[in-house]
Amino acid sequence: MLIASIVCLIGIAAQAAAPFQDLAARATAAREANDVPHAIELYKQSVDLNPRWEEGWWYLGSLLYDSDQYAAGRDALKHVVQIDAKAAPAWALLGLCEFETGEYSTSLDDIRRAFAQQLDPQMESVLHYHEALLLTRLGRFDEAVKAYTWFVSRGVKNPELMVAFGLAALRTPRLPKEVAGDPQRFALAGQAAYLTMLRDYKDANETFDHLLQAFPRAHYVHYLYGCFLLAAKPDEAMAELRRELEITPASGAANAMLAWVLLERGDTDAARPYARAAAAQDPSLPLAQYVWGRSLLEDGKVNVSIEHLQLAEQRDPSNIETHMSLATAYSKSARPLDARRERLQTLEMLRANAHENP
Amino acid sequence: MRILSLTVGLILAAQMGHGGQAPAAPLTCATCHPAQAGPQPETSMARAIQLPAVDPLFRSHPRLDLKIGAYSYVIERRANEVTYSVTDGRDTLILPVHYAFGVGSQTFVLEREGRLYESFVSFYPAIDGLDRTMGDQQLQPKTLLEALGRDVTETESAACFGCHSTGAVAGKRLNLSAMIPGVRCQHCHVGALDHLAAISRGKLESVPPKLKQLSPEDLSNFCGQCHRTWETVVRNKWQGEVDVRFQPYRLANSRCFDGVDQRISCIACHDPHREIVREDKTYDAKCLACHSAGAPPSAGMLAAHAGDPPSAVVMKTCPVSTSDCVTCHMPKVQLPGGHMFFKDHEIRVVRSGDPYPN
Ligand code: HEC
Ligand code: HEC
Ligand code: HEC
Ligand code: HEC
Ligand code: HEC
Ligand code: HEC
Ligand code: HEC
Repeated sequence: MLIASIVCLIGIAAQAAAPFQDLAARATAAREANDVPHAIELYKQSVDLNPRWEEGWWYLGSLLYDSDQYAAGRDALKHVVQIDAKAAPAWALLGLCEFETGEYSTSLDDIRRAFAQQLDPQMESVLHYHEALLLTRLGRFDEAVKAYTWFVSRGVKNPELMVAFGLAALRTPRLPKEVAGDPQRFALAGQAAYLTMLRDYKDANETFDHLLQAFPRAHYVHYLYGCFLLAAKPDEAMAELRRELEITPASGAANAMLAWVLLERGDTDAARPYARAAAAQDPSLPLAQYVWGRSLLEDGKVNVSIEHLQLAEQRDPSNIETHMSLATAYSKSARPLDARRERLQTLEMLRANAHENP
Repeated sequence: MRILSLTVGLILAAQMGHGGQAPAAPLTCATCHPAQAGPQPETSMARAIQLPAVDPLFRSHPRLDLKIGAYSYVIERRANEVTYSVTDGRDTLILPVHYAFGVGSQTFVLEREGRLYESFVSFYPAIDGLDRTMGDQQLQPKTLLEALGRDVTETESAACFGCHSTGAVAGKRLNLSAMIPGVRCQHCHVGALDHLAAISRGKLESVPPKLKQLSPEDLSNFCGQCHRTWETVVRNKWQGEVDVRFQPYRLANSRCFDGVDQRISCIACHDPHREIVREDKTYDAKCLACHSAGAPPSAGMLAAHAGDPPSAVVMKTCPVSTSDCVTCHMPKVQLPGGHMFFKDHEIRVVRSGDPYPN
């Protein structure tokens, strides 16, 4: 009894002197013993006592994430990045928590913050996948398709990835888990897009044959095939895009793509109505703003064209064509310094490109 | 032009004869536009293709020869025919030269079994003789036919004739029977033939667009149809010294360029109806139009000094010299291959040791 109370007293004294150190040590011990609920509790108490304890918030956040408590995990991880804005793993996990809680745009932002720092390879792959899923879910399909190139260039391939890729390729703003029924259409489309990016045109063609036979009236199947044909068979590509417009008349993407092909051919008159429709139907689509801006530019309506080209540039600064058209537009509207900036930027992008794909 | 308009009636009256009796000599452009039609046919542009019978080269050089490796070339004039032959010592191919491209440097276009070939060797004034054709430096011909020249595809030959002659291309197809050698009036002045026909009937309802009113940006693109636009150079990824021959591209990269200031347009320095002036001093006035005390500021200068009253914005002047501007600021650049030089239209301060700016 005595001994016990002495021990107890000592314990209390120790707690009063360094209650935080003790809690922290016990939290660590619980975590290392895989006693997750207990560890979570102890970490919570420790960060209550010492809210500047970055490591505590980090373990708390990651344990919550591991036990599927995403909202609580998110809140804990926010403390980590407040203490250290360069904590890449915390941004990563924060983004993944927000992915689960359905806060898609913040999730995308935070995942991109994580990319700014060095990450371990497995986490990098997980983040790229989620980035692509989020872009798709947010309706930014062209960027999503670009994001999947990360996997194509590394030869990563699995059934789930194909469905996810297919959702982006068929411009369907959903996550794989939200697909009701048979995901076959998306799997085939993903496969076709994947093979195209590998430049395995023969197999891509066969996959497209399957896709078109099985789903001739599904949205964006003809669009995707049209894009595939663009470089080699522009006439057939235009026919496919027109077919898409019969199936999906309000498709900004199909209108924009059709306008683009026509503009490339120098046929501004034919392009104009498609470009106008594209910008009206899908104003947030960078290509739509670009084709409408460019056809206004070619019609000599320079100032309005600049507004649309600037929107296109903001939404997708990686499109070299937008910078070129903006250079011309600025040049024509007595803004030579802006024109020069766009030209230098274009040349810079060209050099960077040459570096990446010599 | 106003004076001209008034005289049209008189000219027409004269052409119609008194009381419409004597059949009139047909009107030509020279009847009414002597200032342009007089000198234009003697320009390099008007002679961008020469028929061998009238090409002065073959009068001054009735026989040209060259040996490259196992192959010997002879270009020889006999009476009004010029032949191009290549032999490997055993077999010989002899073909008539149909067209000589270029005025200074010349490349020959040959025809064999319905196909067109670009001669493997060209004439260069800088060495007063033959050498490999630009662009063919890397080729190692394995057969006599390959040694003869490069097989030019249909699309490419339509492009060659499209830039070097008039009327040869209809709907992207080459029609040599309608070809007028060289760049002539109606190539630049679209609609000039209708204008001539109308005016011959006493009507002035169709007048070709007034090219003088184009902005410098538009004119760069107009001349760039053939001299290559800024965008064309970017799209083709032509980089390094080879791009010095594309003046619209180089000029747009210069700080002097301003898309709305007529003082820097192609036609401020070149009259397309007259042969190019090859004397540096004659260009001083063009530069001084902007770079002298009291010159009106350009749009770019005003933008760079936004907020200052226009009177306070001063164009820069040269601290080094008051004449021969282009000698220092538009250096001559040698093309890879060695026999051709171009004035660099990227006007700038050139410092020795600086790399060629792309
Ligand atoms: C009978 C006289 C006549 C003949 C022949 C003629 N023109 Fe003209 N041209 C005119 C007149 C008059 C105008 C109108 C000028 C105006 O509107 O200021 C004109 C205008 C033009 C213009 C527009 C000028 C500008 O201000 O930019 C061009 C270019 C032109 N002519 C080219 C040609 C060419 C090329 C030919 C030969 C194929 C030709 N013309 C034959 C009388 C003639
Ligand atoms: C239809 C095609 C075409 C257009 C349009 C054109 N050019 Fe040319 N130009 C040529 C060709 C081809 C040559 C080469 C002639 C040669 O030396 O054989 C040339 C040569 C020249 C030369 C002489 C170069 C030399 O070395 O002698 C000048 C200067 C020139 N062009 C200026 C212009 C300007 C300025 C414009 C626009 C107003 C213009 N060109 C539009 C095709 C064109
Ligand atoms: C897009 C228009 C274009 C096409 C296509 C083109 N050229 Fe030219 N070419 C020009 C212009 C402009 C010049 C004058 C400036 C220069 O030398 O680069 C020129 C210059 C030349 C010269 C040198 C003349 C000189 O002294 O500067 C030769 C030779 C020539 N071209 C041959 C050809 C041949 C052969 C082809 C086809 C295989 C061809 N070109 C296709 C526009 C063109
Ligand atoms: C390489 C393109 C080119 C060719 C070839 C050409 N022109 Fe022009 N022309 C121009 C341009 C650019 C202008 C406007 C600048 C100027 O006035 O010089 C012009 C202007 C004119 C003008 C208006 C001049 C004025 O002072 O307003 C007439 C008239 C004309 N050209 C007639 C002709 C005739 C006739 C021919 C054939 C003999 C011809 N051009 C060939 C490019 C060309
Ligand atoms: C500020 C004056 C200036 C302007 C503007 C200008 N040039 Fe030149 N250009 C020159 C000079 C100087 C030369 C060299 C002449 C010589 O050979 O001595 C030249 C030469 C050329 C040549 C012969 C080949 C070469 O590069 O040496 C062509 C073709 C030509 N210019 C086309 C153009 C075109 C097209 C434009 C419009 C995009 C243009 N120039 C604008 C000054 C100018
Ligand atoms: C339309 C007016 C205009 C004409 C014509 C013009 N320039 Fe310029 N130039 C400018 C402007 C504007 C700048 C930029 C000044 C600044 O940055 O403050 C400039 C800059 C320069 C510079 C400095 C460039 C640098 O990279 O630092 C040089 C050198 C120059 N010009 C030489 C010339 C020469 C030589 C000519 C004739 C062949 C010429 N300019 C014709 C407007 C012109
Ligand atoms: C002998 C060679 C030479 C000649 C000829 C020459 N310049 Fe320069 N110029 C230079 C050099 C070198 C500089 C750079 C001076 C420095 O930064 O110290 C320069 C600078 C300039 C600048 C930029 C000035 C600044 O404040 O940044 C302009 C504009 C310019 N020159 C225009 C011209 C014009 C216009 C002519 C003809 C009237 C001309 N130059 C003739 C060598 C020359």
